[in-house]
Amino acid sequence: MKKLSGLFLFFVCLLFISQPPLNSEEGLHSVWAIKDCRVVSISGPVLEKGTIIIRDGLIQAVGEDVQIPVDAEIFDGSNLTAYPGMIDALGQYLLKFPEEKYDPGKFMSGEFTEKDRGITPELCAFDHINLTRATLDKNHSFGITTVHLLPQRGVFTGQGSVFSLSSSNESQALLLKDGFLGIGYSPSSFMVYPNSLMGAVALIKQELSDAVYYDMKQQRWEKEKSGIPRPVYNKKYEILSDYATGKKPVIFYCRNQHDIKRALFIASEFRLKYLICDLNNEAFRVIPELKDARAKVICTLNFKPPATSLYANRSREEKEWAEKELYVKNAVKLAEAGIPFAFSSLETDDPKSFMEGIQKVIANGLPQEKALEALTINAASFLGLDKAIGSIEKGKIANLVLVEGDILAEKPQVKCVFADGKKYQIKEKKVVEGEKPTVNITGNWEIDIEGAGFKFTIAFTQEEGALSGVMTTPFGAFDFTGGSVTGNQIYFETLLSVGGQDMDLYFTAEVEGDTMRGTVIVGTEDSAEFTGKRIP
Amino acid sequence: MVGLVLSGAVYASPGKDLLLKNGQILLIKDDSVIEGDILIKDGKIAKVGSGIKAAAETEVIDLDGKWVMPGIIDSHSHIAIEGSVNEMGDLMTPEVDIKDVINPEDISIFYALTGGVTSIHTMHGSGNPIGGRGIVLKLRWGKTAEEMIFEGAPLTVKWALGENPKRSNFFSPGPARYPRTRMGVEASIRYEFEKTKDYMAQWDGYRAKVKKWKGTGTKPLPPRKDYRLEVMADILKGKYWVRCHAYQSEEMVSILKLCKEYGLKLVCFEHGLEGYRITNELVEYEVAVSTFADFWSYKWEAYYTMPHAVALMAKRGVLVAINSDDGERMRHLFNDAAKAVRFGGLSEHEALKTLTINPAILMGIDQQTGTIEAGKDADLAVFNRHPLDSTTVCEMTLVDGEVLFDRTKYLEDRQKAVEEKKKKEEEKKEDKE
Repeated sequence: MKKLSGLFLFFVCLLFISQPPLNSEEGLHSVWAIKDCRVVSISGPVLEKGTIIIRDGLIQAVGEDVQIPVDAEIFDGSNLTAYPGMIDALGQYLLKFPEEKYDPGKFMSGEFTEKDRGITPELCAFDHINLTRATLDKNHSFGITTVHLLPQRGVFTGQGSVFSLSSSNESQALLLKDGFLGIGYSPSSFMVYPNSLMGAVALIKQELSDAVYYDMKQQRWEKEKSGIPRPVYNKKYEILSDYATGKKPVIFYCRNQHDIKRALFIASEFRLKYLICDLNNEAFRVIPELKDARAKVICTLNFKPPATSLYANRSREEKEWAEKELYVKNAVKLAEAGIPFAFSSLETDDPKSFMEGIQKVIANGLPQEKALEALTINAASFLGLDKAIGSIEKGKIANLVLVEGDILAEKPQVKCVFADGKKYQIKEKKVVEGEKPTVNITGNWEIDIEGAGFKFTIAFTQEEGALSGVMTTPFGAFDFTGGSVTGNQIYFETLLSVGGQDMDLYFTAEVEGDTMRGTVIVGTEDSAEFTGKRIP
Repeated sequence: MVGLVLSGAVYASPGKDLLLKNGQILLIKDDSVIEGDILIKDGKIAKVGSGIKAAAETEVIDLDGKWVMPGIIDSHSHIAIEGSVNEMGDLMTPEVDIKDVINPEDISIFYALTGGVTSIHTMHGSGNPIGGRGIVLKLRWGKTAEEMIFEGAPLTVKWALGENPKRSNFFSPGPARYPRTRMGVEASIRYEFEKTKDYMAQWDGYRAKVKKWKGTGTKPLPPRKDYRLEVMADILKGKYWVRCHAYQSEEMVSILKLCKEYGLKLVCFEHGLEGYRITNELVEYEVAVSTFADFWSYKWEAYYTMPHAVALMAKRGVLVAINSDDGERMRHLFNDAAKAVRFGGLSEHEALKTLTINPAILMGIDQQTGTIEAGKDADLAVFNRHPLDSTTVCEMTLVDGEVLFDRTKYLEDRQKAVEEKKKKEEEKKEDKE
């Protein structure tokens, strides 16, 4: 661990000199040569000993005998395996929506909005993403470098964007904007159309038909301008028409096998480009239909039988049996039938449960190569990004994960991740998830960061495993943006806002009695040790 | 445990020939009772009579004197539907279709088989003056939704008059929804038909323009496709069999007049509890009634009737079917039919017709089911006593010649499963010790 002279200097600079903010995300595309590692490229055979050259965020070369450029920084990859960064094909846990206030007046006036009906195609994931250093870190520690986020509520749920986990700034991280439309079958809970499942199905057809009609009228007007009534602008149909006319793909949120069949009907009637999101892993019950339609399926890692299934409505034993013996094997059956699939973090949300779910599927018969394919090239191809990500190939974006051992092992030993060519060293985490806290650090503590030259106080508030608090520095008081306690390990994050510049500080520590000792990470690479002492 | 309930055919392999021997067979096509056998080939009734000899490979079931009737047909049901039965969000919703939301794993399907029911008409509720489209299903338990659809059955659409579409039975916050009166309900139907005629005229006008267009000048712009009005247009063209929920005699007569005005055939009144007061009109317009045997007074408009209503209507020549409208009542419709004998003195044969050939006729499936005749589907219900006996129990149900429910075997399997479970628990205990 370097001494934190960098942090100290930075603070000092801000105190005395007002500088334009250092945009730490740009200009970090350095040149790397990862030497002597095992390379699982997905696009070709496994190389037992290979070298990967990264330049300007892209893979410049990969192979067994690759010349290392003079300006490259060498990374010793011996004992490590390089995989393409894993892709979470569909998720929504990184989206944050404003809290909705219950409005009783709405019921009395009967004035319902399109949002109440579930029609929100203008809701973009890009506008609601909540990326922090902690989420980047967590994803990286499981080898995930790309995530596709899409709102999930309603009938026309919104538009999805794909993000590269290489920055907590959404513009920097954005890989593909508004590329997918979510279609769900959720009837409204209000007394408004559609109020039933069959109503939602009918609405989807009518709206898609109207979007195609709108597009046709727009095109005729643009071409002719005379002799036909001018079209009236409609924001909803402007957005829907790209999807309804098959220019951009839709994703059907399917809660069971019948939703999948309904999706296939609608997609065929309107000749849509589409993906099936199999929320409850029931695709295995409609394999012939999926094969006929050449459908692509995104599977979640939730194996509980859906409500329409007979297993869900009988005894608890049958439900558990179905979950453990039947639904968990969904991806296995899809692989056997040759139906392409990718994995989604929906229903399981965080990266740990995501990867654990995939391990469960592998334990139940999914060949490892199929799992890797699903996580890399399949997901990339479903998202239309297979020219840019999904394998370790010359010209593709340098999204890599370097693992000691197997990426799909129970506790993957991920050492390092490259996202957009930026190197992220994965810290050894001693935090054991799920363990009950054995310490209570509520109170005031004095924190001393090695090399910073000054101390500051933190007021912790611990409630069971959740940790919150305020860090008081010479530059102001800053609330925690996240924190937790497991066993005697703690982690917490604050966002320092100094002189217009935001800085993520990410602390992990081990607590013993009234002292703590740990590491703080600043930015993407700077880190230092710190100690803490409880103030009596 | 699931295997018990999820499996389809209980006996042998489907499509195999089957001979049911020594039964007391109620043909229904007339009031005769045949003491004899039924030969089933390829899912259809091949022969009915006494002393039928079958080929060696034929499976034989000895009914040992049990009673056989055609599988019961429930013409008014809401089972096997995924999601809400009503589309409450709008006034007229014929664009919604129950066919889109069939749930073949609804346990009520199996329970219906235990009551001798083999085919049902499951449909939209009565929340709207013109509701959604319904579907006829054959209860092929274990099969997919598409496989359960009764091939060739006419498509239906649900209308409703009275308290339900007026929404007068529950408090709904918000501005008053039109219609709030019975005259409003009928007027809204009329208004929708007028809208439909305009829509059809628009499209006819467009098609005529396209025919005349010679390729120069502005190509005609088509009107907007409205899925709702498309179905309404099909109703006007007679493509859908109209099933109208109604209780009061005045509104029934009134809607019949409206239908005549628009050239529509109203096929059946659902419930029609006051139908016994207007049997002349019902006979004149050839409208059937699908009703309850003795369920009334549960709301204001359901007061003025009596359990004799079924018999009174049937004796006057109205086509009457007894339905369940409920997953529980579905399991003992044969008891309901007996009530028409007790109240009103309907003959036993006529009473059994209300569960079999009558609903088949008003559902348009009487060529395939409803009676035990050679050439018809082998949909049969076997009872340990005469079906109208108040202590009868349905022992076996066949659909398309497959035994989908066998009470003795089911109870045996259930007992076996319980014993196996006990054994496993004891083994677990021993392992622990």
